[in-house]
Amino acid sequence: MVDLGRRDFLRILGMAGAATAATGCSEPTRKLIPYIIPPEDIIPGEANWYATTCRECPAGCGLLAKNRDGRVIKVEGNPLHPVSGGKLCARGQASLHGLYNPDRFTGPLKRNERGGFDPVSWDAGERLLVQRLKEIVAGGRGERIVFVSELVTGSMKDLIDLWVKEMGNPAGHILYEPFAYEPLRKANEIVFGYDGIPAYRIDQADFIISFGAGFLETWLSNIEYARQYAAFHTLSASGRNPFVYVGPRLSMTGNNADLWIPVAPGEEYLIGLGMLRVILDENLCANMPGETKNKLGAMASPWTLEAITARTGVDPDLIHQVARRFAGAKRPLALAEGLSLSGPHATETAVAANLLCAVHPGSQAAIDSAGRSAYSDVARADTIKELTEKMKRGEIELLLIHEANPAFSLPLSWDFRKSLESVPLVVSFSSAIDETGAFAHLVLPTHTPLESWGDYSPRAGVTGLMQPVMGTLFDTKHLGDVLIGSGKAARGGERFPWKDFHEVLQSSWTRRQQTMAPDIPFEAFWEKAVETGGVWETGIAGTAGIPVRLSPFAFPTPNEDVRPETGLHFTTYPSVLFFDGRQANRMWLQEIPDPLTMITWDGWVEIHQETAEKLGIRRGDMLLIKSPYGRLEAPAIPIPTVPAGTVAMPMGQGHTNFGRYANERPANPMLLFSSDLDPATGGILRPAFGVTLEKTGKTMSLAHVDGSFSQHGRGLMRVMAFDDYGKAIASKLEPEIDYPMPEGFDPEKDFYPAHSHKDYRWVMIVDLDRCIGCSACVVACYAENNVAVVGKEQMVKGREMSWLRIQRYFDDDKPIARWLPMLCQHCDCAPCESVCPVYAPHHSKEGLNNQVYNRCFGTRFCLQNDPYKVRRFNWFTFTRPKTLEWQLNPDVTVRGKGVMEKCSFCIQRIIEAKSKARNEGRKLVEDGEFTTACAQTCPANVFTFGNLLDPNSRASRLIQDPRAYQVLGNLNTKPAVIYLKRVTKPLEV
Amino acid sequence: MNEMSYNEVTRAIIRPMGSAGTFYKCVVAFWFLGIVVGGSCWGYQISQGLGVAGVKNPIAWGTYLINFVFWVGIAHSGTLISAILYLFRAKWRTAISRAAEAMTIFAVMTAGLFPLIHLGRVWLVYWILPYPNQRNLWPDFQSPLVFDVIAISTYLTVSTLFWYTGLIPDLAAVRDQSTGWRRKIYGILSLNWMGAHYQWHHYGSAYLFFAALATPLVISVHSVVSWDFALSIMPGWHSTIFAPYFVAGAIHSGLAMVLVLLIPLRTLYRFENIISMNTLENIAKTIIFTGFIMSYSYGTEHFIAWYSGGVEQDSFMWRMTGHYAWEFWVMLFCNSIVPLFYFFKKLRTNVYSLFVIGLLVDIGMWYERFVIIAGAPAHAHDPFMWRVYSPTIIEYGIMFGSFSLFFFLFFLFAKYLPAVSIAEVKEEAPRPLRRRTA
Repeated sequence: MVDLGRRDFLRILGMAGAATAATGCSEPTRKLIPYIIPPEDIIPGEANWYATTCRECPAGCGLLAKNRDGRVIKVEGNPLHPVSGGKLCARGQASLHGLYNPDRFTGPLKRNERGGFDPVSWDAGERLLVQRLKEIVAGGRGERIVFVSELVTGSMKDLIDLWVKEMGNPAGHILYEPFAYEPLRKANEIVFGYDGIPAYRIDQADFIISFGAGFLETWLSNIEYARQYAAFHTLSASGRNPFVYVGPRLSMTGNNADLWIPVAPGEEYLIGLGMLRVILDENLCANMPGETKNKLGAMASPWTLEAITARTGVDPDLIHQVARRFAGAKRPLALAEGLSLSGPHATETAVAANLLCAVHPGSQAAIDSAGRSAYSDVARADTIKELTEKMKRGEIELLLIHEANPAFSLPLSWDFRKSLESVPLVVSFSSAIDETGAFAHLVLPTHTPLESWGDYSPRAGVTGLMQPVMGTLFDTKHLGDVLIGSGKAARGGERFPWKDFHEVLQSSWTRRQQTMAPDIPFEAFWEKAVETGGVWETGIAGTAGIPVRLSPFAFPTPNEDVRPETGLHFTTYPSVLFFDGRQANRMWLQEIPDPLTMITWDGWVEIHQETAEKLGIRRGDMLLIKSPYGRLEAPAIPIPTVPAGTVAMPMGQGHTNFGRYANERPANPMLLFSSDLDPATGGILRPAFGVTLEKTGKTMSLAHVDGSFSQHGRGLMRVMAFDDYGKAIASKLEPEIDYPMPEGFDPEKDFYPAHSHKDYRWVMIVDLDRCIGCSACVVACYAENNVAVVGKEQMVKGREMSWLRIQRYFDDDKPIARWLPMLCQHCDCAPCESVCPVYAPHHSKEGLNNQVYNRCFGTRFCLQNDPYKVRRFNWFTFTRPKTLEWQLNPDVTVRGKGVMEKCSFCIQRIIEAKSKARNEGRKLVEDGEFTTACAQTCPANVFTFGNLLDPNSRASRLIQDPRAYQVLGNLNTKPAVIYLKRVTKPLEV
Repeated sequence: MNEMSYNEVTRAIIRPMGSAGTFYKCVVAFWFLGIVVGGSCWGYQISQGLGVAGVKNPIAWGTYLINFVFWVGIAHSGTLISAILYLFRAKWRTAISRAAEAMTIFAVMTAGLFPLIHLGRVWLVYWILPYPNQRNLWPDFQSPLVFDVIAISTYLTVSTLFWYTGLIPDLAAVRDQSTGWRRKIYGILSLNWMGAHYQWHHYGSAYLFFAALATPLVISVHSVVSWDFALSIMPGWHSTIFAPYFVAGAIHSGLAMVLVLLIPLRTLYRFENIISMNTLENIAKTIIFTGFIMSYSYGTEHFIAWYSGGVEQDSFMWRMTGHYAWEFWVMLFCNSIVPLFYFFKKLRTNVYSLFVIGLLVDIGMWYERFVIIAGAPAHAHDPFMWRVYSPTIIEYGIMFGSFSLFFFLFFLFAKYLPAVSIAEVKEEAPRPLRRRTA
């Protein structure tokens, strides 16, 4: 016993107490101070949606930005906008990563002597600009000021035009887009006498043949065309409109076709000519005017069908078949890509396609000349060449750049970088570093589109408004404000009478209101336009059509069209994820696999498997690819997407100065192109050249996510022949489904009793016939559910975190890829639930398999027992840079290491919808009132999410489709994700 | 052994104990270092996450589970020898039962670490126990992992009690031979055993009781461990043969480990009289038998896979010819072919060949667990998710730590506790005769 007197005890107690008080702060007190004067619109916990326009590419989809507590966390398509129709592609979903880009300029910068950048204040930066402006203008050398921007329209374009004009160079604003579609524009001029690019109404056609046009990926307006294509290609019991693709490579678009005609790059036009020959020779279009017939006959005369067959290797019967089918359709549409980079003879191919449209009045009806695309005004390559030459000669004193990156997108042999060095002052207004901006002397970073006012008109008749969807993140300014400020300072306030760009916008829209709706006050018009997201003509079902006005055009003769002597054919293509490379710094897009190669975080060169075997090339071998104009190194992937004799590379990777996610990834195909111009189109000349491949001896670990090219006969992704589908419909065949409901339980094969459900049994129907492979759903899921990006090293180790993934299988006997969107199947008889020792995967009363993050302690038995392998384990605590944390959805837990996660059927959205219904006094959520993130953004409406307990829901109807099946259904998991087989319908005459 | 008197037995067994030579100290220090290495690797893994191991989607269980099953398997034959053979009154097991039971306990202790090591959030592992909590949450008794917890903890408890009970008279014998602080410690450990009749009576009953209790555990524990795999739907795991297959495999590997441990012990401690060649030979013969069971199991598995066709057939074909073919054929060679060498009397009565073959069997059994645990999920239902697993340096570090832990404990046991059961050997020895007259 310790002898402790009273005094000693009190002394100890006092000391202990003091010690406790001193170190007592185990956790710092946190305060939640409610807004005393709340900012307008913000109700904590509730989101505000603002309409604006996506500027990730010139398609200009309208989008709705979800703002939670002052930060935009998700973007979705604006359902009212005619281009997006409520949908958004992978790049649009990733626009958040442009806003929150961790490599963004946080303030103005000035080049220092060592070649790096030092921060400067806006005052100092603008003063420098104004000083030089004044100098140049005073010296009467205003024509030496050039402003190169991405494609802009409307108020911003007008302001820049005015600005350069005031500075002394009326032609000084150059709209630079790497895809300027010069061959397509030329072809439209030749056949239709049309200046520019019209809008195409794919949904109005009943037969489509695409000559390399990736209209589901990047061509012109991919979301609008994907939606139109879904309508065009909708399956019905009586048939389906056919889609034929002619191209050097099995592209994502081409893979959706009912028939792919592989040709060498540059020979697509021969197929078109062949079809024309057949149509003319067999007089398949009787109501063609005789004059047109003669002209067409003259144009097609250099090539006989035999010559075409001999050159392309395509079966003449096939050409006959396609031609007859084309001519027999009511509104057939022939589309051509019109990009010289994909292959030679892009103009010829586009002309051939237009000529096909010219034979049939129905085709012309499916082309809307009134919807002139904004692409029509993009500067052609010859303008850029002229600028480059001037720069090299020192004739440009001030070059201003905004979101244009010619140092990356132009062929390396063009040597744009050298020219940049000759300009004494280069000012970049871009928001983040890029290869061109690296040459800037002064960086005055401007707002990203999500932070900006503005308007954008992707085609005539549609003008989308842009508004800031949250406060400004960094010390940036609106480009318009900078121009107004510098304009005022250099040329006087009377030439730039506005306070800021917002005033410019409103004054421009005042004029618009006066023409469009003179009877209502401007404020009402403006409010409505801002709320809606813009103005556009509604209710116009038809198109303006396009008249045929043929100009003389000569196709090359068989002697003139020379194939390269040696080497392999080479084609490059715009990337569905990176476009021309401008989205390569979005980490989601790097992490998400390419729909055909399933490769992440790197570029590649596709090579036919037999060719690879002959040359001893294996996946990951670094190849040295040489063209007559340049060389590059890229990792090889032997794959069935290219025919033997052709190699293909995507555009978009190969950046050298574009931020942490894009840098040092092979490779940029522009290194292989010539810098010559095609005098006919003003575009980059693309002669027929072959490339040689050399093994370097090095290998690179490619972060690909596919474990096998083939399904090995396991019937995971199923197709159904159209005839069988017709028979099944006629005989009212019921699909073989184990219903994820008590009805699906059979004591003969089920050990445990059925689950009972209350009010809802959530299911998802995935229509494989509609899936185009674009992966927009995957990016939307990443954005909505705070899914971690793990980086290349971890992807190589197989630690991807994607909750929803597109699985790709090649057929064993033909070059066609099959896409299977795979997500947690929320099985009614889930193998994962019974093996977890702590009830972390828990079956809810509404049929969901809920993963309780807090309960999981990471045995991973659920992952082992999951036959679909959709469960994702947090192998580390995956983090993201600080700015990207602002994008996180506050309704979804951010998971730490050691915890399993997976698709939750967007349970946060389910709960939101149920709360809303409850608040409005309704017992149940209605069908279609809300949907999951993946279903929301899919432009082809692949996913239908709904309640199986509601007999009237779309899901309840679709589950009875004879195409319905369940993946790995034989394992008696009773999945709640029901797939509808893709229907194959070969082309018949 | 037949010639030794009680005193000689006691002295022979106790003589090697206590004095730790330099060689011994160095080796133990090495094992301790290994434990430190393993512990550091584990600590690193806890701080970083499971990603430092080689596991991935879809092969989420790697060397940690392989080692778990390996060590639990090793444990079983110890109990077989000390409990089951005791009940069968197989005299040849007497000399080796103590060391075998020690092997069991240390193997179970080592194995028991791995379910903790492979957890994503090991600091919450206690949630697997059914303890009263304010959230009214039970563990899910449907899960084989909960069966595991119950089985392993039961096995460890029963084995430890069994072993300790048997040790009491021996510890008293050591106490009686010791002086000073050693005497005090062994005195406490021997629970004041005095050798009274009633104490021997209780000892005998308790020992028999624990042997009987431990016997079913030999079958049940490893069956439960095998159901970690057989109760899943993974092709290659989902097979009813797993319980007997794993139990047989456990005995197979455990007996081989007994040889690996006891042969050096016997030589270094000069126990040739006590642990006779007959004992070692009997172990070798049993290994032939378990080897046959393993071969039968492999044959059955492959036949059923071929007969099933489809996914099962593909999985087993891949095992033989795919990425892990090398591991598969090593397994087959070491487990099925190598034990056949024991048919040669020369090879089963020579300590070197006994040791080498035992080692090969252990290696083969480790690879068998590898082929099952890593090979099956690598090639499961969906070809899109076919991937390959390789262990990382952290996993090797932890594995080295586990082996080090086992040998560290065994070495300490061999030096500080009687490695042979003094009491039981004396039971076998001829009764002391009356003092002979000159």
